[in-house]
Amino acid sequence: MLLEALRLKDFRNLRDVELSPHQRFNLFTGQNGQGKTNLLEAIYLLSAVKSFRSQATNRNLIGHGRDQAELFARVDRGGHVRDVGIEIGERGKRITLNGQTVRNVADFFGTLNVVIFGPDDIGVLKGSPSERRRFIDRAIFNARPAYGTEATHFEEVLKNRNALLKEERVDGGLLSIYDDQLVEWGAQILRRRLDFIDHFRPVLKRTFRSIFGDGFEAEIGYQAEWADQDLSTENVEEALRDALSRTRQEERHRGYTLVGPHRDDLRTELDGHDLRAFGSQGQTRAFILAMKIAEITYLEERYRFAPILLLDDVSSELDRERNRQLFAFLRDRAIGQVFITTTHRDHILLEEDLRHYQVVDGEVRDG
Amino acid sequence: MTHRSDRLGEDPISGLVNALRRLPGIGERTATRLTFFILHEEEGIAQDLAEALLEAREKIRLCQTCCNLTDQEECVVCRDGRRDPSLICVVERIQDLRAIEATGDFRGTYHVLHGLISPLDGVGPDDLHLRELITRLQDSETREALDEVIVATSPTVDGETTALYLQKLLSPFGIQVSRIASGVPIGGDLEYTDRVTLARAIAQRRAM
Repeated sequence: MLLEALRLKDFRNLRDVELSPHQRFNLFTGQNGQGKTNLLEAIYLLSAVKSFRSQATNRNLIGHGRDQAELFARVDRGGHVRDVGIEIGERGKRITLNGQTVRNVADFFGTLNVVIFGPDDIGVLKGSPSERRRFIDRAIFNARPAYGTEATHFEEVLKNRNALLKEERVDGGLLSIYDDQLVEWGAQILRRRLDFIDHFRPVLKRTFRSIFGDGFEAEIGYQAEWADQDLSTENVEEALRDALSRTRQEERHRGYTLVGPHRDDLRTELDGHDLRAFGSQGQTRAFILAMKIAEITYLEERYRFAPILLLDDVSSELDRERNRQLFAFLRDRAIGQVFITTTHRDHILLEEDLRHYQVVDGEVRDG
Repeated sequence: MTHRSDRLGEDPISGLVNALRRLPGIGERTATRLTFFILHEEEGIAQDLAEALLEAREKIRLCQTCCNLTDQEECVVCRDGRRDPSLICVVERIQDLRAIEATGDFRGTYHVLHGLISPLDGVGPDDLHLRELITRLQDSETREALDEVIVATSPTVDGETTALYLQKLLSPFGIQVSRIASGVPIGGDLEYTDRVTLARAIAQRRAM
């Protein structure tokens, strides 16, 4: 997958940017606050429509004093070239594919696939379970865009069910209808996640070994505390039903749903020790680096496409050795387009197949 | 928020603009355009509009049988003796009824719920016009003629929930309850059908 051209107008502080990126490495250097991350955010938006910054509203995506932002990319996917556009106004976004307005955003997903690795990812293993769920969900969504719609549907069922549980007198008949839907859509989410872990786990173990040698054993697993049996793609519906009936009393008392994929976590271990509790900073960073590399390898091996990688200033977060390993992996990959931001050019251990840009006060120049 | 004292001091032009703006789909620009149109045209337009608004508001009520809008006791569909009494199609809104009527293919009668169940928005079963439907089914003559209730709510969470609720509610009557199909649009291209719809269409395929 290649981004052949990128054009941005009035996106945050980037007033007018036009690039013909290199098919391998694109490096953006500059001081903090000049617009480097905004550039990666624009590419991310062209893939996911949403921003990776959680506080991003349409208003603050649009340049100061402007009415709308325009993002455009030409994407080559295995010889199939498509033009992707997003216009962002205060009231909403308009997406186009080859100049035609896309009515249903679900039709658009999957046109451009990106994997991002930035400072926020560094803390995922020590952070809240929701951050680790987001890692799984993003990875699934990248290969199976329909997952996004399914997840939204599940969340809507969940929110309504919780609102009903908070009512003074709960209509039992109505609750059982939400039970059925929670089981149906929750099971679908669980099946997708379990299937992902099944295929991702061996890739991660192999990646970890190849980077860090045979000294450590990495392990990853799906954790559903509410289930009193090991989950498999065959038994998720039954497990959800059991758990719902077990928690019936307590959820009415608390006023929200206690079981389901929204409560789950990703368990990560090194030599049998839970990283969430016992991992040192060096270990968790090594592990997340392996997870990100494995995510790319997983997409390449299972779905036969090389996603575009966005590296947002991670070198300053990784120690020398991890940084060296990251760039060794990137150079050894035969293909794959990468966009990298950094404040320090000397962190970036790349000399060939590279286009260098400088970002100064919202302007991007050849460096 | 406009305070009362401000409203009293409001000039008639902005008064009309602000009144029009409260209508759905009308922003400030459209409201201003409509206002100046009304003021520039002959006086009759303003008179007709005002009378039509008040008359509609005063005379239009819900059909006592199906909750469609009407200016009589029963709506035009329920009064039409040629409609098929064996089918009732349940819809969320008047707009949905009109959309189905526009197909010209449905010859049964309707029932309009005027909403969908959504605890998140504070809408429960009691807020919908379900009681009227039950009352209707309790009438032995209606019940006798009826074979099937079609639930034509949207394929959203609220639409599904309401459909499932209706199914439960109607089960004591022993009537066939069916759900409208969802799938690939006619004349549409499979390639451009959204993935969830396509996946459902395949899961709910039918034998031929």
